[in-house]
Amino acid sequence: MKLQKKRLLSQIIFFFYANLGVLNIKTGLCFPFFYCHACPTASSACPIRAIEQSIYKGSFTWKFLLYPFLILGTIGILSGRAVCGWACPIGLLQRGTAKVARRIKNHSFAQKLGQHKIEKYLRYIKYINLIGLALVTSYFIGFMFTDICPVGFLTGTIPILVLYPGKFVPNSFFMIALIVFILFMILIFIVERGWCRYFCPVGAILAPFNKISFLHIHIDKEKCIHCNACSDICPMGINVPEMNRDPECILCGKCIKVCSKHIISYERV
Amino acid sequence: MKKMFVIQITALLLISGSLGGMLVFTDVYDEINTRIVSVLCLSCIKLEPKLDLEYIFDTANKENHPDFVLENLLEGVVFLHYSADACHGCDIIYSVIKDFFNVEYGKDEVFFETTLFEDSPVAYFYNNVDHTTQEMRDSYEVYDVGGQGARPMCTIVTLKYDRGIVKPYFASIYGTFGDTDEERISFLTQTMQASIELYNEFRDGYIPE
Repeated sequence: MKLQKKRLLSQIIFFFYANLGVLNIKTGLCFPFFYCHACPTASSACPIRAIEQSIYKGSFTWKFLLYPFLILGTIGILSGRAVCGWACPIGLLQRGTAKVARRIKNHSFAQKLGQHKIEKYLRYIKYINLIGLALVTSYFIGFMFTDICPVGFLTGTIPILVLYPGKFVPNSFFMIALIVFILFMILIFIVERGWCRYFCPVGAILAPFNKISFLHIHIDKEKCIHCNACSDICPMGINVPEMNRDPECILCGKCIKVCSKHIISYERV
Repeated sequence: MKKMFVIQITALLLISGSLGGMLVFTDVYDEINTRIVSVLCLSCIKLEPKLDLEYIFDTANKENHPDFVLENLLEGVVFLHYSADACHGCDIIYSVIKDFFNVEYGKDEVFFETTLFEDSPVAYFYNNVDHTTQEMRDSYEVYDVGGQGARPMCTIVTLKYDRGIVKPYFASIYGTFGDTDEERISFLTQTMQASIELYNEFRDGYIPE
């Protein structure tokens, strides 16, 4: 089976794992990717929610703080951000919107924007999300990332409204969350993997592990002819020939497939 | 290469070992399940249950009313207040109800006091379900008519005549009871007045099961 088909199969399998709650299977695990436990069919907890709950308004529950970091850390050391590319249901959703995003990417305005020097700094927003919204505001004022999370809106709010019509009313964060959700939907249609690149706080936890993960992408730089086919196809917008265990790499393997010199490969250890 | 391998192995052993240790020696797995996965997180869905006050006789899980409720119904209406950690709605209701009943307690405490509302005794119970006793946690299941584990939840237990017997008659309400504190107080006042009126009408015939 071809690599990208294997990846699609893996994403579908993990999508079913994430929704095992439909069979009434509810575990005590945290998802190692971004998915909301408020989804009526979710099987595990959102790691960000566990972190927020551990320190909410000055409280401290060390188990809830450590547990998601250890789950993500273990997976991160083994395979870096491969879960973003191979397991995350939101990654699967963005795979579906990628065709539109790629078309927009070829537009001259989008190319200029993509190559603008500010673009690389936008990638730090996900760390700000993690530290600012999941940790700092949650600890000091009780405002949480989950209050406005677009993935919670997509997988929790909308299904709940459909399943229980007339039983719920919007809370004070609903309108803000709706706006964030609309922006999220626009983003994933205009920037390939836009959520993973710029905003995902789970990606922010996993990203540093790319530097030491057992599994990573290896490039034989001496044989590279700099055709840039790998960079063009990269959904995370990485300059692949210059990449060395890049924190943004989701190990999707698209660069491996497209390399005419066959100098890009997965490498263990 | 060798240095990297040592770093990788050390980090893996340290992190996965700690994770294994947590799973074996602590109750984190069960706590994540009961406190996050099995609870409908209102912050996550940005919604709150519609304020729909409906009194019923049958408990949510078909179990009997807890003993502490049946006993306190001899004195007056029972008001059960269920709260949780990291719950925005719970924080709003917490301060409103404290002022409403003129009681003082900490958010993580289990609290009980027979207080007065318009000169009628009310048995007020506060439970943070993340820090309470098993008996109180079980009582949540008895009154969770929504069946989704949503919090905050308040249950008012009064009395009413049903096929020859005076029985506990209760309503569970979720969420924050309105957009402003005035609305919340007004809603609570009307609800308590109606519940006390029912209680006064039927209390003479009440015998705990």
